Amino acid sequence: MNREVSGIGIGLRYDLASELLERRPETVSWVEIHPENYVDRGGRYEEMLELARRDWPVITHGLSSCLGALEPFDPTYLGQLGAFLSEFDIPWHSEHLCLGGAGERFFHDLIPLPFTEEAAKVAATRLMEVRDAIDRPLALENVSYYVPQSSDGLAEADFVVEVLERADAKLLLDVNNIFVNSKNFDFDPKKYIDRIPAERVVQIHVAGHHVRDDGLRIDTHGEPVPSEVYDLLDYALRKTGPVPVLLERDNNIPALDELLREVDELTDIYRSATEAHDVG
Amino acid sequence: MLGERSRLIQRVCFDIEPSEADLETLGSPERWLVYRDLVRTRLVGVVDAALPRSKAAIGEPRFASTVAAWLSTGGSKTRYFRHVPNELVDFALPLWTDDVAPWVLDLARYEIASWSVRHAASNLTPAGEFTFDTRPLVGSAVRVLRLEYPVHEGPTPEDGYGPSPHTLCLYRNDKHRAVPKILNPLAADLLEAWQRGDQTVAESVQQAANSHGVDIGPAFVEKLSTLIADFITDGILLGRRA
Repeated sequence: MNREVSGIGIGLRYDLASELLERRPETVSWVEIHPENYVDRGGRYEEMLELARRDWPVITHGLSSCLGALEPFDPTYLGQLGAFLSEFDIPWHSEHLCLGGAGERFFHDLIPLPFTEEAAKVAATRLMEVRDAIDRPLALENVSYYVPQSSDGLAEADFVVEVLERADAKLLLDVNNIFVNSKNFDFDPKKYIDRIPAERVVQIHVAGHHVRDDGLRIDTHGEPVPSEVYDLLDYALRKTGPVPVLLERDNNIPALDELLREVDELTDIYRSATEAHDVG
Repeated sequence: MLGERSRLIQRVCFDIEPSEADLETLGSPERWLVYRDLVRTRLVGVVDAALPRSKAAIGEPRFASTVAAWLSTGGSKTRYFRHVPNELVDFALPLWTDDVAPWVLDLARYEIASWSVRHAASNLTPAGEFTFDTRPLVGSAVRVLRLEYPVHEGPTPEDGYGPSPHTLCLYRNDKHRAVPKILNPLAADLLEAWQRGDQTVAESVQQAANSHGVDIGPAFVEKLSTLIADFITDGILLGRRA
């Protein structure tokens, strides 16, 4: 059953699953999972997914088929991923626009790509390859980065758009990543969003991040969503209209009620911004 | 250019010490060291989660140097984060063999087997009920482990474990935990035969009894029935293989 994905979702994570699945709050409209945590795995993860699917649509967000590597994809994994998405009737899948590995080794982290034509070509080609393999829409996600890639902070937006257009792809717009990058590299995050073709955005991520003593912001998904990211979400939704929004919280996971207060805040923004979009 | 850049980043993240030359080539060295820290912290975190008692027994410095040596081979080969500790243990056991107490090696084997059982694939669906004249189907989350030391009896004693050879069946229970069950040698051989699945139950019982010099009399049959009933109750034996 492919149920509609809309409103505010939450990442289904091991540390919050028990309370989330027991209480099943109505304000949470859908959940997102990382397929690498579920493919070829039983036990608690299998149970979590089964319980979540009873009430919520599920969206997948990949961690390991990053679009910037040069090594060929593992056809076995792509086959497993495609079968998994098909079994659970996932309407679209997303992967990160980054380097996830080198020489058949995995960083298990998101390493930035240079904003070059070569990287854009590679990423677009790989995106189409994965999309063909899984036989369903594939969105790319803009990532946070900590190493300067250009003297122009908005060059990343142009890079993202180039990949989107080369692959005719959809975008998972992470507004926290844009905000983190804007602070680390001193640009206006709203100008970044202005450069994104709103019609390509199928989903939005929001999260909190860590501010180090030296001021560098790290995308930890371990802090509450800051007010500036809420503001940026409002700005983005007024352009995109009602695309589903996910609250990402992967570390320092608090009591569910704390996360649900963030969901409420996101819901208020979602309603007012998408109504404004309708009117506009 | 992308390929060379990827290799530089790989070396910066995983070499025992990142080279100044690589960092200078990449530019913004201090920021690439942020990535080195993020990547390594994450991998160390999952290893620590899987092997807490082994790490405590080996000691922080030695354990950390082993992890660093493993990372310096180029990083993790698996896309599955849950399989990272298995890669480390495969790398570490040969290194530790000569200079770590033997019971610590058993402890590492036990911890990684428990971790593997917890995260193992879901069970295949049996083709029918368990019968003696068909090939049996064993659960996916079951491991047979032959150990020289009783490391499953925690917490770890301050002076370590004395020898006590035994065989464990580790299986995932209905709470998704890895549970140890002690098996006698014949039962362990039987379970391993059933995991291979190339004989009927009757054939494997006959072969195991022969190799252990045991007569298949009433006492044997009664014990075998109890073993099978326990295995079925615990979800170790699922039924008949397709």
